Amino acid sequence: MPIAPDIYRRIITAKLYIDGNFREPIDLDRLAREACISRFHFHRLFTRIYRVTPHQYLTRKRIEAAQLGLAGKAMTVTEICNEVGFESVGSFSSLFKKASGHAPTDYRLLARERSRQVTEQPRSFIPHCFIETLVEGGSPKGFATRAAFGHTKSNSQEAVSGPKP
Amino acid sequence: MITRVSHVTYFVTDQEKAHQFYVGKLGFKVNTDATMDNGFRWLTVSPPDQPDLEIALISPLKGGMGYDEETVQAFRVLLGKGALGAGVMDTTDCRATYEELRSKGVEFKGEPKDQFYGTEAILYDGLGNWFSMNQRK
Repeated sequence: MPIAPDIYRRIITAKLYIDGNFREPIDLDRLAREACISRFHFHRLFTRIYRVTPHQYLTRKRIEAAQLGLAGKAMTVTEICNEVGFESVGSFSSLFKKASGHAPTDYRLLARERSRQVTEQPRSFIPHCFIETLVEGGSPKGFATRAAFGHTKSNSQEAVSGPKP
Repeated sequence: MITRVSHVTYFVTDQEKAHQFYVGKLGFKVNTDATMDNGFRWLTVSPPDQPDLEIALISPLKGGMGYDEETVQAFRVLLGKGALGAGVMDTTDCRATYEELRSKGVEFKGEPKDQFYGTEAILYDGLGNWFSMNQRK
């Protein structure tokens, strides 16, 4: 059965409430009140629209914020855990590992190492075809640039078969 | 054998605005943000459920690119016309996402419609690109 426009708006209101307030304690009662719908209907409709339960969505937002915090902020894991809305470091660590594949401290080390490499060696993160076409300004050297249009203009004599090894 | 696509390009008129749009409004995640010495910025983003697909947001109109003036002008014309290409994004619920994105100022070409392949609304990124936002049947 289609969902009425007014109901859509109510569910979206509650979803945006999570987006803006996930760092605070939020429970199903609070969200249902935001949506002005009963707890049961709110849970059912939210899950139907977003394919995750309100609780799963809230957890996802918190984990994402924790990932950014671990990568960029000078706070302890416990501080970040609390700052993004988790109450227990144990459950935070377990959920974080399940979502990201790494324990929070390992994630932080990997993220910071990658960030350092990105700053020091940016070129090594760019696939070479992009360097050739974007930074150096055209088709990889030696290839016909307009072959697809039936033209014969090429960058070199090897154009038809590509560059020699 | 080739198995997957890992990188695609979205050409945009302004890279920083593209960052604001794709990350701030659509909810994509920044994958890599690296700036080379010549000013070329390699900015890739990924859709929420596809962390291994890197979409390179490229502004051909900006410095650091190797394009000649003729090429830049061609990009300017094509992006201005929204004629450079199109794409499709999946959503769990087209009408809900349409309402939410519209409330955030995203431009749509009309309301969601039922199509053979699902419920679709067409959105504009404001940077030269049109997308179908589709809820699959």
